[in-house]
Amino acid sequence: MELGLALAILGSAFAVIFGGIGSAIGIGLVGQASSGVMSEDPEKFGSLLILVALPGTQGIYGFLSAFLVILKLGLIGETVVTLTTFQGLQIFMACLPIAFTGLISGIHQGKVCASGVYMVAKQPKDMMKPVILAALVETYAVLGLLITIILLNGIQL
Amino acid sequence: MAIAEINKVQIIGNANIKMDVFSSLQEEGIIQIEKTDYDALGLNSPSSEDTKLDHRLFQLSHTIDFLSQGEKKGLAEKILMKKPKLSKPERKKIIKSNYTPIIEKAESLEGEKNDIISSNKYLRKEKALLKPFKNLDIPIKLVQLNGYTEFRLGTIPLSEVENLRKIQEEEELWFSVIQQGKREVFLLIIYLREKKEAFEESFKKISYIPYYFTESTIKRAGKSDTVTDIMRKIDEEIKQGENKVIQLDKEARELGLMHKEKLMLVYDGLLNERNKQRFSQLAGETKSIFYLEGWIQIKDIKRLKAKLKPYSESIEYFFRSPLPDETPPVVLENPSVIKPFEIVTKLYGLPAKGSLEPTIYFAPFFFVFLGLTVSEAGYGLLVTILSLLYIKIAKPRGGLRNFLILFAIVGVSNVIIGTMVGGWFGFPIPKLMVLDPLADPVPFLILSLVLGFIQVWFGTFLKMISYIKNKKYLDAFFVQGGWLILLPSLVLYLLLKKPVWGFMALAGASGIVFFASPSRNPISRFFGGLYKLYDISRYLADVLSYSRLLALGLATTVIAMVVNTLCQAALGIPWVGWLFAALIFIGGHIFNLAISFLGGFVHSMRLQFVEFFGKFYELGGQPFEPFELENKYTELI
Repeated sequence: MELGLALAILGSAFAVIFGGIGSAIGIGLVGQASSGVMSEDPEKFGSLLILVALPGTQGIYGFLSAFLVILKLGLIGETVVTLTTFQGLQIFMACLPIAFTGLISGIHQGKVCASGVYMVAKQPKDMMKPVILAALVETYAVLGLLITIILLNGIQL
Repeated sequence: MAIAEINKVQIIGNANIKMDVFSSLQEEGIIQIEKTDYDALGLNSPSSEDTKLDHRLFQLSHTIDFLSQGEKKGLAEKILMKKPKLSKPERKKIIKSNYTPIIEKAESLEGEKNDIISSNKYLRKEKALLKPFKNLDIPIKLVQLNGYTEFRLGTIPLSEVENLRKIQEEEELWFSVIQQGKREVFLLIIYLREKKEAFEESFKKISYIPYYFTESTIKRAGKSDTVTDIMRKIDEEIKQGENKVIQLDKEARELGLMHKEKLMLVYDGLLNERNKQRFSQLAGETKSIFYLEGWIQIKDIKRLKAKLKPYSESIEYFFRSPLPDETPPVVLENPSVIKPFEIVTKLYGLPAKGSLEPTIYFAPFFFVFLGLTVSEAGYGLLVTILSLLYIKIAKPRGGLRNFLILFAIVGVSNVIIGTMVGGWFGFPIPKLMVLDPLADPVPFLILSLVLGFIQVWFGTFLKMISYIKNKKYLDAFFVQGGWLILLPSLVLYLLLKKPVWGFMALAGASGIVFFASPSRNPISRFFGGLYKLYDISRYLADVLSYSRLLALGLATTVIAMVVNTLCQAALGIPWVGWLFAALIFIGGHIFNLAISFLGGFVHSMRLQFVEFFGKFYELGGQPFEPFELENKYTELI
């Protein structure tokens, strides 16, 4: 196997790994907080679930970036594209925006959602407000994803 | 126009019809009653509230909860939320009906059940205490015997058994190990009573802990009952208790089936009586009259007049528009297509006095943005059909109904926009597509930014309108107007490089430079204004923020494609491939639908709240909360 292909695959792995870590830590934080609230008030499961699910998007963004790389390389089909080392490096670097924005924003979105859980515990009617606050953090993962997609699209093979 | 006009209403009437008037107002539900300013009007405040009803309501809801335990509700019932119906004439009758026997019966059932549960808990503890000695095969009564010998039960640490043996060798003592635990042994020790004190001394050295049967164990024991017999007896008793609980539950269920609905009706009837009393506390009174004031929508005045007609002999009312220092509550008023979007406005907060009502302005943007962020026609169709079906079958009311209509509307938006830029369940229809963001994302990105520019510009325009309304003409025409000219002409200049746009941009900028700063000193005014031009970076950031429309839309499309690719791979599995493929298809698309609509809603709202509302909207209105009939368990008809 050529080094270029290996680098490209490393890039897609990075997107999934870091996006996934960010989401896992984020969801972990919110999940713990909401279990605490639900032990007092089991009825809140539905409204807390949205907050718990929110930091999950970073992992999905990482996953879908990786999938775009896989499509581009033709790893699913029959013919795998041959890459030069520099093309592989380009794809690797194109994956970095979502990898890092996903990692950091996932964790911080988790923190915002976790404090949102405490807010919902006291003010059940204001459920959507912490959701919006969490979306402010997610913006940067969305922007990371956007640049990853545009970069991947622009790389000529 | 989108904020309903509200008037103050003042009602004075004969004291003896006070509660009747309150009943009528409650049924009509069109007035928000305000607390009377007793001192200013020289009125008395009503005598303090009666708490008997609160106690009754608590009893009722507690009973209803108890009777609902163990009730199995089917999923369909839960979704449809069928509630008993209560009509107005019935309401008055039902609260006079005699429901006390039902409550008493339920309370006695509950009391009995709780007694059994707590005594079973105690029995289990007793059994657990006996367990280590279950191999003791002499009757319990024998251990209690008072003769020349002493029977002692107890534990010592495992390591001390040797020491006990030594004692046994030296003195007249017999012991046997009943059971050996991990760290300790359970013993029966027999010795002569006369040596008791000496033995007790030596027992202390080997950390002996005595064990005594509990009072109730001794009571329970027959002459020849061993520990195992007692444990069996306890088991039987527990079993009996459990059977009794099952029977009590059954009785409660039957009672619930027969009477729960009635209790629910009574609860809601009394709840409204309680509310009536509570709100009547806000009125002022003298010996012969009462006085109340509140807010009413102008369009409801006719209804109020009709409702109060029967009392026209002994009542007088006045209406007036709110005074400048009064802030009336806010009711949003929009055409029925726009109405569901009010949910988004209410989520952010109601407009302050004098601010524009934003719903009608952002609704078209919200509609388009949801189509772009989800951009999946199949999901849109599914969401629309499901929402409409739910509305048709379950007939929800209030907030839920509006929310479902909003869902149906944005579903339609997805069918249209999804067909043009996305696909149907991950399958694009190239012939109908205007843009294919997956093949070439740049035109889509430009579209997102153009939409963003339009909304940001429109927000600024609305700011100008609201300045004009508040008669701040300088700010309106030179500052906001300056931005309105500067922004588009700057963009055009950068794109086309024609000097005419450059001059336009300079003209707009000069308006901002000379009028944005409130300072009177011309130099600081100039530099202050120049500094205000720096806001252009904020406008730039706002517009760039709309690029998320592309990213979120692409995410939906790509994940839908991933699901379909996985399906295709699963089809390759021999024999059961189609089953896996079907499961992946359904599960995957439901998952994608849920997260993309969640993301679509959240991010579209954020664009409204941060980028659009930030330009012109002022928060601070209080919602209009009319004094009306309330219901917890029933549906009022």
